[in-house]
Amino acid sequence: MYNAWLIAKREYLERVRTKAFLLATILIPLLMGGLGFGSGYLASRTKSTARITVLSSDPVFSQDLKHELETGEDSEMKVDLTTNSPELRKQLDKELKRGSSHLAGYLQVVPPTSPAERPRFIYKPRSASDISTNSALRKGIKTVLTRERLAGQGMAATDIANLMAPVELDTSDSGDTTLAFYAAYLLFFLMYMVIMLYGMNTARSIIEEKTSRVFEVLLSTIKADEMLAGKILGVGAVGLTQIGIWMIAATLIGTYFSASIPGAVAGHSVISPLQVCFFVAYFVFGFLLYSSIAAALGAMTNSEQELQQLNLFLVLPLAFSMLMLFSIIKNPDSTMSRIVSLIPFCSPLLMNFRVSIGNPQPWELALSFILMGLTIVAILWVASRIYRVGILMYGKKPNLPEILRWLRYS
Amino acid sequence: MPIVELQHVRKAYDTKVAVEDLSLRIEPGTMFGLLGPNGSGKTSSIRMMIGITVPDSGTVSLFDKPFTRDSLKRVGYLPEERGLYKKMKVMDQLIFLGQLHGLDPAVAGRRALQWCERLQITDAIERKTEELSKGMQQKIQFIAALLHEPDLIIMDEPFSGLDPVNAALMQDTLIDLRNQGKAVLFSTHRMDQVEKMCDHIALIHNSRLVLSGAMREVKSRYPANRVVVHFTGDSGFLRHPSIAEAKPYAGMAEIILSDPAQAQALLAHAVGNGTHITRFEVMEPTLEEIFIQTVGGKIDV
Repeated sequence: MYNAWLIAKREYLERVRTKAFLLATILIPLLMGGLGFGSGYLASRTKSTARITVLSSDPVFSQDLKHELETGEDSEMKVDLTTNSPELRKQLDKELKRGSSHLAGYLQVVPPTSPAERPRFIYKPRSASDISTNSALRKGIKTVLTRERLAGQGMAATDIANLMAPVELDTSDSGDTTLAFYAAYLLFFLMYMVIMLYGMNTARSIIEEKTSRVFEVLLSTIKADEMLAGKILGVGAVGLTQIGIWMIAATLIGTYFSASIPGAVAGHSVISPLQVCFFVAYFVFGFLLYSSIAAALGAMTNSEQELQQLNLFLVLPLAFSMLMLFSIIKNPDSTMSRIVSLIPFCSPLLMNFRVSIGNPQPWELALSFILMGLTIVAILWVASRIYRVGILMYGKKPNLPEILRWLRYS
Repeated sequence: MPIVELQHVRKAYDTKVAVEDLSLRIEPGTMFGLLGPNGSGKTSSIRMMIGITVPDSGTVSLFDKPFTRDSLKRVGYLPEERGLYKKMKVMDQLIFLGQLHGLDPAVAGRRALQWCERLQITDAIERKTEELSKGMQQKIQFIAALLHEPDLIIMDEPFSGLDPVNAALMQDTLIDLRNQGKAVLFSTHRMDQVEKMCDHIALIHNSRLVLSGAMREVKSRYPANRVVVHFTGDSGFLRHPSIAEAKPYAGMAEIILSDPAQAQALLAHAVGNGTHITRFEVMEPTLEEIFIQTVGGKIDV
């Protein structure tokens, strides 16, 4: 075991001392945070600011719609009003085709044939993909129609305004839930990144020793299994150090500066200590799982280029977890969510995500760790055999029957 | 007490037999040369001696005991290709490798420094391996193999890629170690080095041992039928009936006699012919010639 410790120590010190480690420690959370918060924020807060023209023969309705679309809850559009005529439509059609125009589309209001019916609305957009304007229009029209109908039934304008006012949801007791969701989301991507990064680092480090033939010197004193163990421990410890730095930073920021984070409530940490503990635990298991696969891949290949081709085996389960993320967001404790989060390859990402946003039962958490543990043992068994034979093989990349024969060798 | 003993060792990879029925003994204080063309099984044999691979059949004994990994603490190994961490500083690297051989970091550091002084590379100590020349890396590797003062030193192609000055430095170091009673085994296909340095040789060809024994004894098996002659004037004497083969060059010739006893007669004939002889030397065949003769000329030296 002393030898494995020596290998791990060397690996750890050589990696932590590099500039790359420092850069990754600072840049990854910044990048992840920027991407996660940025895209989430944009998606939820952006109001449509398109310029459209409304063609209607009903001035009251069109005035009301203009007001709603320009100052309403979800849109800040610019609206021009005109009457409805074929000539005007032709002119607008031409304008839509002109590249320099700012017009996003025009809406025709066709009056109903009888008072009981609704008018028909025909929208002609410049671009079919402008979904946010479409939905803003739909919402706006609905609000205006409801308001008209209520007024038509004799309700006073102030009552209608009261009734239609947006609802405020007070969650100050448990901290801002939106912010908590983004924090969970951030943790998910962070986990994805570190498992991927450190899994690949294990493989790369093995290839480096293989191409520089260092392992031949090492193998003349220590066993392949000790080398493998030291390698995985060393690279994993680097990962843990990096995560440790992030988590301490996150806790400090969450506790002392939460007041200055928009949307956060003073006194509530954005990331709870429980989340931190689970993140670390799931990283350890996830890393062991993926780095054992990576170690086998590294031992099989001779160069980073060859490794790229086999990358699929690492990326596929991670990508699957990413896909499953969306159904878990919708319903974190559904049967489906429970099953996929128990798959050992997905647990580090998905069960950990459920810890943040759902209510996984203690037995589910325990079971996920047991299943991961068993899988790790199985994969390590296979990986160490591939490793033992693979590191001595140069040249041709082995095919599947050859690898199976390696398993029997040792 | 043999330091290394292989008995009927066989190793086959998937489709190819790398070593077949190899037996050899290395005694303490011996310089042992393992010779053979590329791909003949030298590296495979060495790998089995240091436990990187295990023979399919036959036995490997180190220090008069069946092979155990514990014995490896007394073995120093220099692989054919340079095996050093590129980004690591030389001193850190030497201490790390010394620790793997069971040395205390302080002891490893002290010895590393002494060796660096001896091999004249003290200015490389604080640099990273990747910044060093190939020859310097070779020296570092050489030191790494000797740091723990092994009783058995195994070196796979130790002199390849070295300039003559440094090759001589390494050769002297190895001879010193041999004189201290250590067993040194090295593989090579450079015959001139083997001839100068080795007490014992083994020649492997096509996975099999084709020739082995003490250097003097091996050479005495071959008749002293070589003649090198330097001369001026008529070269007619080269057609003398005692000559089996002659390679004439400018002012000299290399001759193989059909009968070693005819050398004096040849000299008398040449002088009688009026040729002016400046040098006339009867020699044993060189190891290179024995080598070529044994493996049938199919060798890349």
